[in-house]
Amino acid sequence: MNKIHRAVLASVVALATAAPAVHAADLTIGFTLDADTLDPANHRKRETETIIRNMYDGILTRDSEMNVVPEIAESFTQVSPSVYDFKIRSGIKFHDGSDLTAEDVKFTLDRLTVEGAMGNDQTSPRKSLLGPLESVEIVDGDTVRINLSEPWPILPAMLPFQEVVSKAFVEEVGTEGLATQVNGTGPFKLVEWRKGDSIIMERFDDYYGGATDIEPVGPACVDRVIFKIIPETASRVAALLSGDVDIINELPTFSIEQVKNNPNTDVMTVNGTRSFFIAMNMEGEHFDDPKVRQAVAHAIDKDLIIDRILGGNAASIDGILSPDAFGSSELPSYDYDPEKSKALLAEAGYPDGIEVTMDVEGAFKDTAEAIASLLTNAGIKTSVAVGEGAQLSNKWRTKGEPKSGDMYFSSWGNGSLDPFDIFTPTHRTNDRGNSAGYANPELDALLDAAAVELDTEKRAEMYREAELIVNRDLPYVYLWVPQDIYGVSKRLSGWKPSADSRINLHDACVD
Amino acid sequence: MGFGKFLERVLHLVPVLLGVSVIVFIMMALTPGDPVQIMIGDQAITPEQESALRRDLGLDRPMLERFFVFVGNAVQGDFGESFYHRRPVSEVIAERLPATIELSLVALIFALVTSIPLGVLAAIRKNSIFDRIATVISLLGVSLPGFWFGILLLMLFAVHLNILPVAGRIGYASEIAPITHFLLIDTLLRGRPDAFLDALSHIVLPAITLGLPMTAILMRVTRSSMLEVLQQDYVTFAEAKGLSRRRVLFRHALKNALIPTVSVAAIETGSLLGGNMIVETVFGWPGLGRLVVESIFLRNYPLVQAAVLLYAVTYVLLNFFADILYTVLNPKVKL
Repeated sequence: MNKIHRAVLASVVALATAAPAVHAADLTIGFTLDADTLDPANHRKRETETIIRNMYDGILTRDSEMNVVPEIAESFTQVSPSVYDFKIRSGIKFHDGSDLTAEDVKFTLDRLTVEGAMGNDQTSPRKSLLGPLESVEIVDGDTVRINLSEPWPILPAMLPFQEVVSKAFVEEVGTEGLATQVNGTGPFKLVEWRKGDSIIMERFDDYYGGATDIEPVGPACVDRVIFKIIPETASRVAALLSGDVDIINELPTFSIEQVKNNPNTDVMTVNGTRSFFIAMNMEGEHFDDPKVRQAVAHAIDKDLIIDRILGGNAASIDGILSPDAFGSSELPSYDYDPEKSKALLAEAGYPDGIEVTMDVEGAFKDTAEAIASLLTNAGIKTSVAVGEGAQLSNKWRTKGEPKSGDMYFSSWGNGSLDPFDIFTPTHRTNDRGNSAGYANPELDALLDAAAVELDTEKRAEMYREAELIVNRDLPYVYLWVPQDIYGVSKRLSGWKPSADSRINLHDACVD
Repeated sequence: MGFGKFLERVLHLVPVLLGVSVIVFIMMALTPGDPVQIMIGDQAITPEQESALRRDLGLDRPMLERFFVFVGNAVQGDFGESFYHRRPVSEVIAERLPATIELSLVALIFALVTSIPLGVLAAIRKNSIFDRIATVISLLGVSLPGFWFGILLLMLFAVHLNILPVAGRIGYASEIAPITHFLLIDTLLRGRPDAFLDALSHIVLPAITLGLPMTAILMRVTRSSMLEVLQQDYVTFAEAKGLSRRRVLFRHALKNALIPTVSVAAIETGSLLGGNMIVETVFGWPGLGRLVVESIFLRNYPLVQAAVLLYAVTYVLLNFFADILYTVLNPKVKL
């Protein structure tokens, strides 16, 4: 036994001393998921885009305040309600040294939107992200014109999700080659993709500098960037604490203290874009009555839960929109008042309260149980039923088919921060995210009109009105927008988390 | 064993695999959750765009048709395209397989080199303090959940002692061109002892976590079969002949005592595959287990179906191998 112990210790010490020294300007990110592909047009996952976006630039991008600014484009103008012109910057080089032209931009957009353009009869799974884009043309040498089949004011908000590829390169390597090879215009070039393990990139010295509106402009600060894939939360935190990585995403609230107390690490937060809410089945026997829905709203002490369970890292909401979203505004609040809940229940004909079940995904069980105990205190005896994400979504998002269940603790993301992407799917009659079974023709008409309204001020006003309607009708209890929480090493500087959950490493430096 | 027997066993594989594919297909199809909805995520899209995506993935066709297409293609070695990677499933799996095999082999070696000496020692010193401790350890070994034990190891060796890395197969500085895709072998073939040590330091903790339950089981098996053998007449006879204790133990007793250990080890190797899913997730190990876990959550049907078939084939072959091994070690038994 002793011998074995000694042997193990000796080999462990040998290994430790043999570990290679880390280069000073390497930045490692402990990241939850590997990319599915490196082809910007052939995936449908946020994590994949986060990785790819450091090697590819887009026509437009967002600054840290989430404003849309030109990136590869120099400027853009709206020629008519359904026509946009993008003037392409000159002097932008791909990683292979070739120049980017308007042809490449047109090719990129065609590849994303034309049926079968991916080759092998395949259409890009990202086509729907460009909505009614009908055709793309080059009007004079360096201007790309996008024609829409109908007005779609959120085009600029959606373009940062797409990255520009090199026409010549794609024609050379094909869609198959683009899955593993990168020839972008972004601040980093691909060195190696060790699938499932890590993606290694190095600085592109001929980088044009990125968006002129986002300081600093120029090549990236660090020499190398490594996305190391660590799906398990505890392991990701361990990697940060041990100094193996410099940034981790999805830091759980219960690890915040641990990361803050470590002398070499810190916590960074940014307002997220995901709204949490509780859907109440309006087709069900209790929640067809607005009084019962109001009783639920008055029974939940949101501030308490944000404070105790979410560690203060969330912003309370009274409508579906995040406070940072376009068109959001101050709305009336349903104050925490359990007595009022009981009174409302009695008025609705339930003097002895009601018994309900709340469906929730495993990851949010704690929060749901806290809410359930608050509801129970107010006469709404709630039991929590844990289910798996896809299964619950199937049960609740029935697109008009009859649904079972009482309440569903759920959420909807809004990466574009435009209401169109969150308001319409969750509130329009029978739309794909309408888990409450809410049906209000007046709201439907308003949402449809707002989606194509081009006057920004008027559009914002329409969404404000829509928010007031749902705040009054209360198909959901609107809860909060949690912050995205990152753990970072103290040797990191120049980097800030971004609300759209991109990890943009262009400006990041390490000591 | 004759060739006829061998062929018979191979033919047994056919109904097993067919059964497995039916079960996997039905399980995946009946599990609520729609791959298209998961793929679209939180977006406002039109029903036309949604059905175009569904058509592109082949999910617009009826379940029965999809099943026959799957089986028809599978027998020709075509498992379809992964929804998410948009590449043939066989390619995606092949990329991840070496990491899983390497980890399983190291875990197996760890289990064998620890369990057999400990089991023998426990048998020789039956009811001693050492035996008791070994019993407790083996009990813990089977009952400690891998995800918890793995994280404990990480906290101790990576965070507090900071002597082993947290995740991955090898540091990025130890880049080597693949030959066999087994990093422990490739690093040596390329003459890179530093990279070998780097790879070794990455594999130690996951291999221990993965191998521990097997160690525990093999230790119990070795101990009890050793105890049984030590009471056999031929052992008493060998001792009566005046042979040294060492010679009696290793030449006479151990050789026979190991028969059950070896065949249990062969079967248990199959269960390493199941453990891989958890261990690979905890240690960020880029293997097949993690890929399958991710694919299940995304309802990536083609990949899950192919991977489960692969697991089934491996399991059946290992059992087959265990049977053969048993007949080789113990000529009294015939297949």
